[in-house]
Amino acid sequence: MLRERLAELVSQSCDGEISAAEALEATVPLSYLGLTSLAQMRLIDTLEREYGVEVDLGGDIAFLDSVDGLAAWVSAAR
Amino acid sequence: MISFSGTRSGRAPLTWGQRAIWDAIRRTAPDDHYFNFGRVLEVPRGARPASAAHVSRGIGLLVERHEALRTLVGPGPCQILHDRGALPVRVAAGADPAAVLAELSATAFDYEHEWPLRVALVTGGGLLSEDEVTHVVLVFCHMAADGLGAEQVVRDLRLFLLRGALPGGAPPQPLDLARWQESPGGRRQAAGAAALWEREYRRIPATMFGLPSAAEERPPIRRAALTSPAIDLAAQRLAVRHGTSTSTVLLAAVSALVAEVTGHGTVAVLPIVSNRFGRDTRTAVTTLSQEGLFVLGTGSGTARGTAFADLLAAARPAVLRAYRSGYHDPGDRERIAAETSRERGVPIHPYCCFNDMRFTERATDHDDERIRRARSETSLTWPLSQDELNCRFCVHVTDAARISVTADTRWLGTADIERYLLGLERLLVEAALR
Repeated sequence: MLRERLAELVSQSCDGEISAAEALEATVPLSYLGLTSLAQMRLIDTLEREYGVEVDLGGDIAFLDSVDGLAAWVSAAR
Repeated sequence: MISFSGTRSGRAPLTWGQRAIWDAIRRTAPDDHYFNFGRVLEVPRGARPASAAHVSRGIGLLVERHEALRTLVGPGPCQILHDRGALPVRVAAGADPAAVLAELSATAFDYEHEWPLRVALVTGGGLLSEDEVTHVVLVFCHMAADGLGAEQVVRDLRLFLLRGALPGGAPPQPLDLARWQESPGGRRQAAGAAALWEREYRRIPATMFGLPSAAEERPPIRRAALTSPAIDLAAQRLAVRHGTSTSTVLLAAVSALVAEVTGHGTVAVLPIVSNRFGRDTRTAVTTLSQEGLFVLGTGSGTARGTAFADLLAAARPAVLRAYRSGYHDPGDRERIAAETSRERGVPIHPYCCFNDMRFTERATDHDDERIRRARSETSLTWPLSQDELNCRFCVHVTDAARISVTADTRWLGTADIERYLLGLERLLVEAALR
């Protein structure tokens, strides 16, 4: 469920440039599919609100580039 | 005159965005008309013929809906929202909309007494009746809206003209934003942003352009605008190749070239950040954009030695930090600047900003030949000169093929400004063709 929800949030963050299904099946980093830095920032804002977490932008942010990375990060941060 | 009557009045501190613009206006006065900007809306075909009375009614509804358009600056400074009033409208029969726009933008607003929106209706011309409006000219005071806020006003007006009504509920208003910014949630956001400013202000060079140029012009502020289809094509190709936006490509290239020109190994640039990352603020009509802090280490200090891929890899997380630092309390930033300047014994301020003013961007790949050929279409003009500016080096991206540098010639002479812009084109084209 978490992966599906995160894929939806990825899709919303880039105004549908990537569909939720594409985000789930992606084999290249999401940034190559159209998750720009602006969309990443929207995604971060949504993650922080929806899961009550805080993203440390001073650290490694590679997790933003895949749904699996996001799911692992959210699970660990919650 | 357009009479309007909104649902509430009130008074609040300036929002962070209003405060940032207010400081910039005060530092740029008496040349502060620099911050005025406008939009021309051509009345859509489906909404014609539109009478002046009908269009005026739509504008009245907009002023009632978006409180920023009936908010003035009060003592303190603070923001004072008025519930009712009358907005002057000029009717310009058969006029050139661009000329009307330039004329309405040419003088600074009276921030305490004048509504922050100037309106002209261009009517008639050709076979049309004298009362038929063809274009609506809107000039905004930057205290009321930034580019994206103004875009929302234009979108709302267009919808009103097509449908006769404004859809949906009103977005958050400046008064509500000011109150949120003082709440625990707002202070948390401010603290996160302040931490980024503080960390960087302890280590960045004191300023980017710190050596007098010995080539001062009169008046000292000059703008060079480069029209370069080659930059557009090259930036698109680099964005596709490296999985990023053309905005990030341009910011990275601008920073790398500042490093090259100044010799600084670490470059600090202040990109204008929209601060519209939350769903609620995306459509707000107010001035939300503020400077963020983008810090990029370019290694040796020369762009040539650094592969563009490495530059972008470093730029990507730095852009996100810049975005987060953008939504800050200017009071915090002022305090941090004062503290770090005292500790380091030198005033800390990058005086180097980057404003990508595009609303949308597209990136597709282009072949070598097309990029090479485009270089012959490059041209450069000098469209602006003035006495005062609150910065030393400002890059504006107005559309994908048009980039300008507005600089204080006391720190960067006109020959160097020109060399900079042509160097930017060369850097991007060479990286794209590699």
